[in-house]
Amino acid sequence: MLKPGDIVPSFDLPAVENGRERRISIGGLDSELGILFFYPRDFSFICPTEVTGFNKAVASFAAENTAVLGASIDDIDSHRRWARELGGIAYPLLADEGGKLAHACGVFDDKERTAMRATFVFDRKRIVIFSQACPINVGRSITEILRVVRAYRSGRLCPADWNPGDQFGPIDRKY
Amino acid sequence: MQDGVLTTAGVLAGLSGAVSDHSQVLLAALASTAAGALSMGAGAYLGTRAETEVLRGELERTRREIERAPYVAQEALLDQLEKEGLSREAGFRVVRLLSSSPQTLMTTAEEKVFGLAGGMLGNAALDGLVMGVAFVGGALIPLVPYLLIARTRPALLAALATTAIALFGVGYFEGWLARRAARWRSGLRFLAIAMGAAVAGYLIGLAISPLGATAG
Repeated sequence: MLKPGDIVPSFDLPAVENGRERRISIGGLDSELGILFFYPRDFSFICPTEVTGFNKAVASFAAENTAVLGASIDDIDSHRRWARELGGIAYPLLADEGGKLAHACGVFDDKERTAMRATFVFDRKRIVIFSQACPINVGRSITEILRVVRAYRSGRLCPADWNPGDQFGPIDRKY
Repeated sequence: MQDGVLTTAGVLAGLSGAVSDHSQVLLAALASTAAGALSMGAGAYLGTRAETEVLRGELERTRREIERAPYVAQEALLDQLEKEGLSREAGFRVVRLLSSSPQTLMTTAEEKVFGLAGGMLGNAALDGLVMGVAFVGGALIPLVPYLLIARTRPALLAALATTAIALFGVGYFEGWLARRAARWRSGLRFLAIAMGAAVAGYLIGLAISPLGATAG
């Protein structure tokens, strides 16, 4: 699995965003940061809260100059119907059919034949700055991911559980 | 019932080949009927009881699991429906609909995913009683004519004739239930297999009859 410091593999995949199909490539992103989160399947009873959770927070991430990308092994048709089922999704859902991107990121579950519940935050140079993977029954905390993005963008030393408005660590410490 | 018919006809045929005394054959057949009814009844009772206890335990364990983590049942049911040919999207809608009633979700998951069903819980006492009574009912078919006719050979022929008619009737009825066109074929097949067993019993009795003479 990719860890901080690794490079996110290059990709160019079909995606659905706001009900429309388009192709998304990592080189085409113009934001400062990017979030690539994998989820196992469309039309599942475990995944929906995360996809909709990121959707509710997409404006907050955009305010932090951070693009959000979701990905699963389902095809573009499934993504379109799933996004409609969830009331519309305002960020791209990538169709990683066959799990090639998930494999390249080290988050393909060979037993279940789906992507794991994994998240990567990366910068303009495609360098991973944050990565996490969750058990199948544990939904991610989008609030935590947003906190990490804000902390990273502050450029400062942030103590544990730092949130905007909290004190930073001493400026004379190297990190 | 079929067991009762065949076992009793087999005993009558086998003993008639080995023993010439009509009343001795009849007595043995009656004893065999009683023993058969009791053993079949006891076997059915014990079998149903064991099966019910195991099934009840499995159902309780499954229900606790579903109550603890309903999403596991939802996902498992969704996977099962997909395996059975339903598209994932359609399966999702079905499971979501079922989820509006937790009880319905539970029983559907139990049946489709775990292969369990509350309806499979049997009544051991009833099964035992029915099995025993059915055995006796079947045994009476060859026993009654054997009882009414005093001489061994005609009595045996009459017993075998009523047995044959009954077996043909069972086979014919099976064909009727299965909606087969040639029901008489079902009847004949059933009869051939069953009577084969009875004839074999008679021949075995003939073969071992010298042992009885030697022991006497």
